[in-house]
Amino acid sequence: MTNVLAGTWAVTMRTPIGSIEAEMHFALNEGGFSGTATGKGETVPLHDITAVMIDTGERVTWTQTITKPMRLHLTFDVLVDGDRMEGHSRAGRLPRSTVTGRRI
Amino acid sequence: MLAQIVLFDGFDPLDVIAPYEVLCAGSDVIGGELEVRLVGIDAAGPVTSGTRGLRLQAEEVLRPEEPGVVIVPGASGPIEGDPDEVATIPVLLARIAGTSLPGLIERAFAAPDVLVATVCGGSLALAMAGLIEGRTAVTHRLGNDVLHAAGVHVVEARVVDDGDLVTSGGVTSGLDLALHLLDRQYGPRIAHAIERLFEYERRGTVWHASGRAPIAA
Repeated sequence: MTNVLAGTWAVTMRTPIGSIEAEMHFALNEGGFSGTATGKGETVPLHDITAVMIDTGERVTWTQTITKPMRLHLTFDVLVDGDRMEGHSRAGRLPRSTVTGRRI
Repeated sequence: MLAQIVLFDGFDPLDVIAPYEVLCAGSDVIGGELEVRLVGIDAAGPVTSGTRGLRLQAEEVLRPEEPGVVIVPGASGPIEGDPDEVATIPVLLARIAGTSLPGLIERAFAAPDVLVATVCGGSLALAMAGLIEGRTAVTHRLGNDVLHAAGVHVVEARVVDDGDLVTSGGVTSGLDLALHLLDRQYGPRIAHAIERLFEYERRGTVWHASGRAPIAA
């Protein structure tokens, strides 16, 4: 676990009802990472955050539950490379959708 | 007892009319004690469906505590398309979360003698608004994955009876839903009489969590 992820990210993800934007905040504490996502009208915690260094960057996964604009349980799997993140999120059985983010 | 069918902008006409006619016919054969009304969310008056601008008239505003059943239809509109560009059916259903309907449905669930029933995407609208998380339900087959993603246990049956929540599948399943509601409330002879009148027999088994559960194959 490194400190590459820590900081604030502007993230865009696609959902069945359109793209949504959120600001994700990750912090590295003694026990690992913690984080929050702030979207339209709500801030929700990020759960089960893992970060592993691989050849092409840091592979980061987490889950979150949003209620706005709709109730969705999302699972994220992204690659962090410097100030950019790219990957996908998945909600239940729905096809995975693209996630992009940049450090702000 | 009162059956209220909710109209909202973009509703699917058949989702409304199928249960309306079945319940009205059922009412006729029990002497009229079941009242059936089309209701608006905030106001009475004309409401435009999602099919070629067809309009239906809301006779009054939804009264969520009135004993009986509140039926939420789905929306009609484009199925394909980028949801950022096109108001697809999921986008239309998500908009309902921004109306006063979720609050009214919450009151209906809290009321002692009120059932909430849905046709087609109606259950998806309730799920998107966070009202039926952890419940068992169904929607149109094209929407079942989204329903699951919203935290609902999806059972692929034409009608799913989860106590005070009775949901049904796509469009025409509103016939089966209303026949089940007649059966549940007034018994099989009433439902059967309407099946005969409409020349329509229900399909499949109404799912509910009673009896034995099947062993996973």
